[in-house]
Formats: sequence, structure tokens, C-alpha cells
Amino acid sequence: MTLAPILGTLAGGLIAIGLSIYFWIATARGGRRTQAVFFLILGVVLLVVSAGLGWQQLGPGNPEPLVATPRGPVQVRVLTALPVEPWVREAAQRFNQGNFRQDGQPIEVQVIAMDGLTALGKFDRDDFGTLGDRSREELTPQERERLETTFPTVWIPDSRYLVELANAVYKERLGRDVFLTDGEYRARPIAISLFTWGIYQSRAEVLEKKFGEINWRTIHDAAVAKGGWPELGGDPAWGFFKLVVPNPRRNVGGLAAMIAAAGEYYDRTNISVADVTDPAFQKWLGELMAALTDVSGASAYTAEDFALFGYSVGDGGQLLESDLLNNMAGIQTRWADPLVIRYPKYLTWFDFPFSIWIGPETTAAEKNAALQFQRFLLTTEIQRLAVQQGLRAVNNEVSVTEGDTLFTRWQSQGVEAVVPRTTRMASPSRDVLLALLRWFDLNVGR
Amino acid sequence: MRRMSKQRTVIFIGVMGILLLCCLGGILVWVGVSRSTTTSTETAVADSRTATLTVAYSPEKAAIIRSLIEQFNAQKLRTPDRQPMQVQLLEMTPEEMVTQVLAGAATFQALTPDSSLWLDQLNQRWAASQAAAEPGTIRPNLVGEAVRYAVTPIVIAAWEETARSLGWPQQPVGWQSLQARAQQDPGFKWSHPSTAHASGLLATLAEFYAGAGVQRGLTAELAQDPKTVEFVAAVEKTVRYYGEAELAVIQRAAKEGPAYLDAFIVSEQLVVAFNTGAFGKPPARLVALYPAEGTLWADHPLALLETPTLTANQRRTFQALREFLARPESQTKILQAGYRPADLSIPLDSPGSPLIPANGVDPLQPQTTLQLPSWDVVAVVQNVWTLTKRKTNVFLVVDTSGSMRGSKLANAQAALRTFLAQIPSDQERVGMVEFNSSVVNIIELDTLARNRPALTAEIDQLVANGNTALLDAVRTAYSRLQRYGDSERINAIVVMTDGRENASQVSLRQLVAEIRDGNQTLPVVIFCVAYGSDADYEVLQALASASNGQVREGTPETIRDLYKVLSSYF
Repeated sequence: MTLAPILGTLAGGLIAIGLSIYFWIATARGGRRTQAVFFLILGVVLLVVSAGLGWQQLGPGNPEPLVATPRGPVQVRVLTALPVEPWVREAAQRFNQGNFRQDGQPIEVQVIAMDGLTALGKFDRDDFGTLGDRSREELTPQERERLETTFPTVWIPDSRYLVELANAVYKERLGRDVFLTDGEYRARPIAISLFTWGIYQSRAEVLEKKFGEINWRTIHDAAVAKGGWPELGGDPAWGFFKLVVPNPRRNVGGLAAMIAAAGEYYDRTNISVADVTDPAFQKWLGELMAALTDVSGASAYTAEDFALFGYSVGDGGQLLESDLLNNMAGIQTRWADPLVIRYPKYLTWFDFPFSIWIGPETTAAEKNAALQFQRFLLTTEIQRLAVQQGLRAVNNEVSVTEGDTLFTRWQSQGVEAVVPRTTRMASPSRDVLLALLRWFDLNVGR
Repeated sequence: MRRMSKQRTVIFIGVMGILLLCCLGGILVWVGVSRSTTTSTETAVADSRTATLTVAYSPEKAAIIRSLIEQFNAQKLRTPDRQPMQVQLLEMTPEEMVTQVLAGAATFQALTPDSSLWLDQLNQRWAASQAAAEPGTIRPNLVGEAVRYAVTPIVIAAWEETARSLGWPQQPVGWQSLQARAQQDPGFKWSHPSTAHASGLLATLAEFYAGAGVQRGLTAELAQDPKTVEFVAAVEKTVRYYGEAELAVIQRAAKEGPAYLDAFIVSEQLVVAFNTGAFGKPPARLVALYPAEGTLWADHPLALLETPTLTANQRRTFQALREFLARPESQTKILQAGYRPADLSIPLDSPGSPLIPANGVDPLQPQTTLQLPSWDVVAVVQNVWTLTKRKTNVFLVVDTSGSMRGSKLANAQAALRTFLAQIPSDQERVGMVEFNSSVVNIIELDTLARNRPALTAEIDQLVANGNTALLDAVRTAYSRLQRYGDSERINAIVVMTDGRENASQVSLRQLVAEIRDGNQTLPVVIFCVAYGSDADYEVLQALASASNGQVREGTPETIRDLYKVLSSYF
């Protein structure tokens, strides 16, 4: 498309109007009026045609010119893990309204919700389409359009170990890392949260009375109780004990929960492939997972589901603290039975690293715009917003107990600003993750 | 001198005029050429910018989703590159959504079925169709992250009197109470939709759990165990007939009251809508029974299909729609329609909420859910149900009078072929009676395994001619069904006519009396299709009323879909 026809008709129209004026003046000196009228009509017609063409090409709702040159705002596409997505999205809205610029162009941050494991799978399969040996100039217009509108600039997975796994894949494929671990563009945590037990209070009271403490072993005992809740001392209407664990196919939290269960089963923080393939452990894990209400792969089983469907789908489970905190009020409103929070023996932390893609698939302007957004997320104001949404801030200036926060509001339900236990589960290797996924596929998901 | 000046002026004007005309002509040619020779690249890039999002939705939420989308579109939102964000809707059953996507024939980019279980099935079946995925690898998902905007539990809807007779509200009522009552009381009428809908699938799953004697851990082996299959078949024999999704069932219940069915499986939202008069003045109050053994949730997920053709702008439209549905105004509207809104900050007992006991529901229920097995077990349940469900003897009665000539007959033939194609089991028995001035052809009832070729050939050869001996034809089919006397199966007649009865020997009064009498011992349901505006609606209504059937109106444009719907009853 070109502007030449518009400019041509516009010029023609103006010339005709000019001639018309000339002949009007000439009329005054004895010339003919018809010449003036003729050029006036011609000029008006050409101006109308010019305006029509202009509307056709530049009017609202019409296709823009081809993507030969970058236009409009610098795009930052952020693949965001589900637990921080609402916070990052709200921050992005504020950022987009904040007149931030890169190389003189405004910046637009677009947030795409995607579970960390799903995104890792996409990186594994190169679904986003890296350039490989080609340069941008070698791309077809469609390929270039796709690269410029869909390739992620930033990935915020749930945990740092997912970044390491993605880097390992690309090191093999391209011979280099695609996310940096040091320097200005390094992957930096933007908030943290940890896995805790969230259990309906009525159910927690029965379990604590029977078993003393809530941990993976006592939950297992509740899960295998053949008589269901009546055998445990609960209400018959509650049915069987129902465990809530995110489906590992839809939510990386599911894998974290299984690794935490393995940690308590073996009473250590380092879990190997041999541990997760041990038949005795697998039998124990199988009995535990039999208490899941929905073993299909549809539900990501976030705490939101837990709140939305209440005790009808789950009595309790190990979920991310921030997710639970966000839903505490809703659960109370909807189900008239509050949730209580208990901290496990071995802690699993998620640190949500903001990881900028450093390959040639994103431009320097996009990388720098992403860096601006990262700094914005780390500001005191946005970190306070994170705390308001149940996340723990990484900016030391922001306290989780300053003012009315979810941490102070739900202290009575067991929430602790300072986590009482400090033993941390080690990050699993790719082989451990895949072995657990394989076990899940063969024994629970199928 | 003056004359020369005048000549110059004329020449000047002429040259300028020609130049301008050339310019104008060139522009017109350019516009024409640019329109006619738009290259595939330009089209592809224009398509890659589109922000129009087509969403497939399941029929039971037609009213609320249409209303919300209308509001969304009225905002006239635009993407940063000024493309209009528009949402278009497509109504189809969840099973059809899955089928279309897997066949690569989907014309939608997002979907909102009644339950997440369809998304799971879609993901799993799609993954299975891709390059061999080893267990344990990180498999791709076709369906993106789903969001929920409205949820509602699936319940057993019963008239208050029936509910009390089942023990409500003093005792817990469950699937077993319903099944036991249906088996003990031959007059008890209940129904559930086919497994193409979440409510039908839940009711079927509950039967399999009860038959297998477990409350969780249903496996493919347990579902196929002869004892389980025998139990399910026995329960299914008590089903009066299947039919369309719950919306059609509850609309009919509103029209006919307790005489229609004693209990049926629907979502809680429809019970609320019924009791609040959404389908007209309720003939009696319906009560939602939350099964003691557990239920399922219709969670109405909304998700994108992550296909390579999805544009960045369609993703923006999806996000805008998601945010629109999450707004307090949208969520309040959803609550007012009887759904439980996804926004947990809205209490279910907020002022004006219809989720109150007076409307037959209890917001603190359900207490527990049935365990939803993995997709391959669900698939086994669906397949076994097809084999164990109550079988059918159905006669197709077809009008080939002179008024059916032309496209009317051609469309009817296509509809009949669709009907046969939609019946999944070859064990169903289907026969046909063709009539015009008299009954001109009869294909006796037999299983589709044996009868399908003859039926198909007969349908292909139908010729329109003569008058309309409708009543004689219905009597022919009816008397044959009575003669077979097969009470194990659903017995039905699907009769279609486009004109007025003018050639039968039997009178309407006589035939209605025969039907009423015969149905005392062997119920035969007559489904009537009034094809076009000249059809004798009163006669058809009389036949349907006498047999507890129904009359549906069809046109050449809708007849095919109508027969497709009718096939779901068998």
C-alpha cells in the first residue's frame, strides 16, 4: 500500500480548485463563468475521492500497511506463571498507563498467562520458533509478523529451576543460554511464595484431634481410611477424605507437591530418580493420589478452584501460600467454613524469576523495555501491591506486616509473617521431574 | 490578440482537463486492480491482524452468554493497532466442539463448554493424535489456560412432592435412592441427557460407580465388568427416554408439569431459573437434590485453542473478554441468572440473589463430589453406556404427498439420512412407513445393522406424489409396534408431514382412542414434525398428546437439525 494515490488526487483537487479561482478572477475581467464552475466541480470531486481513499487506507478498523517497518509501541510480551499473573497483569496495566518509553517509543507490556511447566514444554519443543541460523532479514513477511507479535520477550516461571532446565535445552540446541544468570539482563526474582497446607477448619480440627499434626504421612493415613470421614471422626456427609493437589500436567505446583511428599516420606530434602521409582514409595504415593477428586487433566487445581467449589471437591491440600491467602475471604464468604494454614516440615519456595530472552528473536529495544518493566515490578509501590496479593516481597523495604495485609488479616488462621521452619527442599533435577510425570501419567492421569 | 488569448485558454483548460481525467482514471484503475489482485501475502497478513474471536458455547447457557457478549461487543473496543475487538458466538454441544477441533474443522478460536472435562478430553485426544508422546515427557496442550466466570453444580431436579417422597429434606437423597425408586416403581418417570453433555455424563458415571460398588477409583476394567454393565443396563431400562440437553427438558417440564417427568438431571442454575419463572409460571416447585454420594460441577470454562493460526489480536480480544466477564457488573448479572459467580467476593446470599431455599436450592451444598476419572475411563463409560442404554424401536413415518415436491423433499431426505447417521448403535431397530394417498411402502422394523442399507436406499428413492393419508400411516406404524410388544425398549414413531390429512380411512378420534388404549400396556411415544407452514398442527398435536410425545416445527432450512435433535432421544 502507498499514499501516492491519495496525494495525487489531493494535488489534482487543489490544482482544479486553484484553476477555478483563477477563472473566477478572470470572470470579473470578462472571462467565462462556466470554466470556473467546471474546475470547481472537478476539484471538489477529486478532494472527495482523495478523502475516500484516505479513509479506506487509514481509517479505523482497516488493515494497517504491511509490516515492513516497526511501528507503534515497543512490545514486551511476558509469559507469566499463574500464581503471579494477576499481580503482574495489574502492574502491567499501571506500567502501560505510565508513559514509559524506549528509544522514544511508548512501551506496551502484554501479559500471557501460562503455567511454568507448559511454557517449559513449549521452549523444549521450540514452539515459539527461534531463528536458528537465520537472520531476521531472511524471514518471510508472515514469519516476521509472527515473530514480532508472538515471540515472548520475558518469561516469569514459577521457579528458577525451570529457567535452568530451559537453558539446558537451548544450550544443546543453539550452543548458548537464552536466559542469563548474571549481568544486567539476569533472571531476577520478583516475588516469592511457599507451599503450605490449606485445610477447611472443620476438617483440620478432626485431623489434628486424630493425628496430632498435619503432614504428608497423616494426610496419607486420612486418604486411605476406607470408611472415609466417619472413620476419622468427621461428619458422614463429608464423604471420603478429598486431597487437593494441582494436576502436574496443568500446574507445576503439582510436581512441587509430589516432591514435597517424597521429602517427608524419605525424611530428607534431596530426592533422586531412584527415590521416586522405588516401588514402595510409588505404592504409598498411589494411595495418596487416589484421594484426588479430579484425576483428569482439565483442572489446574489452583486454590481458586478450591475456593470456588469448596469442600465439595477438596478437604485440604498443599498449595501456594499466596494463592491460599488470596482466597481466604472468598472461602469464608462462600462456604461458611474458614480455611486454616499450616506450614510443612520441608519448605518448597517459588521465586518467580523475571527472565529476559536474550537471543536475536527479540530486539535490543524490546530487551531494554523489558528491563524497564522489571525495574518497575521491583519498585516499592509495586512490591507493596504484591504483598496485597499474598506474595512475599523481594524488595527489602517492603514488609509483609506493614499495614492491613493478608498476612496480618489471617494470622488467626495460622498465617505467619516469619516462616517458622527453614529446611528447604532442594530443586529437583529434570530426570526426577520427568520420572514423576511418567509415574503420574501411568498411574493417576490414565 | 484577444482571440489568441481565448484559444490559449481553451487549450490550457483542455490539457488540464485531460490530465485530471487521466489522473482520475488511473486512480480508479488502481483501486480496481488493488481490490481484485490482493495477494495471498496481503490477505495472510490482514488475517494475522484480525481481532475477531469466535467462541463456541454449549446450549444450556445460551441466554446468559448471548446477553454478555452483546454487552461486550457494544463497548466497541479496539486493539492497539485499531482492529475492532469483536466476539462471535457459535452454539454446539460440547461433544461437537471436541469432534470439530479434532477433525481440524473448527471455525472457532475459543470455547466455553459446560464442563472442564471436555477440555481435558480434547487435550488428551489431541495429544494422542500428535507424534507419539512418551509418558513423562512434557506434552503440549491444545487448550490454553482456562478461566471460569460461572459455576453451578449438577443436581437431581424433582418436583417438591416427589422430593419429599424420596426422603428430602430429612434424609440425604442420592443416585442410589433415585435408581432404587425407578426400579421399584414402574410409574416413576426420570430422564437424563446423553453423555454428550456433562449432566448426562455425570448421571451415567454415578450409575457405573454404583454398579461397580465403589465410590472412587473407577477403572476401565471395573466399568466393563459384566456385573457393572448388567447393573447399568437395568437402571437405564427405567429411563423414560433420553433426548436433548437439560434446557429442552426443563422447558418441557415448565409446559407439562409433573405429568412429563418425576425427576431429571439438570444444573442447579436451571432449577433456579425454572422457579423464578424464566420459562413461564412454574406448574409446581422444583427442588434441587444434591446427590449424597457426590455430584459434579458444570464449571463453564472459557479457554483459547492454542493453534498456530491464533493471532496476537485474538489473544487480546480473549483477554478483554475475560476481564469483561470478571467485572462486578457481569458477575452480578451471572448471579441474577442463577449461576454461582466466579468472583468469590460476591456472596451467594447478597441482596436480590436468587440462590435461596425458596427457589429450591441450598448454596451450602454440595458437600461432596464424585471422583471424576481420567479421560480414558470416561471414554470407556461413554462407550459402554452406548451399548447398555435402553434400546429403541422407532418407525420413521414419511410424507411423500405431492406438496413435498422439489427442495422440500430433498431436504427431508437429507434430514432422514442425518437421523440414521446420528444413531450410534447398530442394535437400535428402525423401520419406515412411506405414505401419500395411502401407505405406499413399509420397511419392517429391524436392527440398523441389517436395515441400514434398505432404509438408505428407500430414502434415496422417495418420490413426491398424491394426497396425504397421514393417520393411516401412523396407525400402520403404531399397530406394528404394539404387535411386537417389546417393553424392554423405548417404542417411538417419528412422523413428518407438510400438509393436511385428506385421504385416510381411520379418523383422528378413532386413532387417538386406539393410542390411548394401547399405551396403557405398551407406551409408544409419537414425535411429530410439522414440516412447513401448511402442516396440520392440530392433528399432530392430538397424536402427540395422546402418546406423551411432542410436536416440533421444521422448515426446509431447519429440518436436518431437527432430525439430528430427535435422534438424540434414542
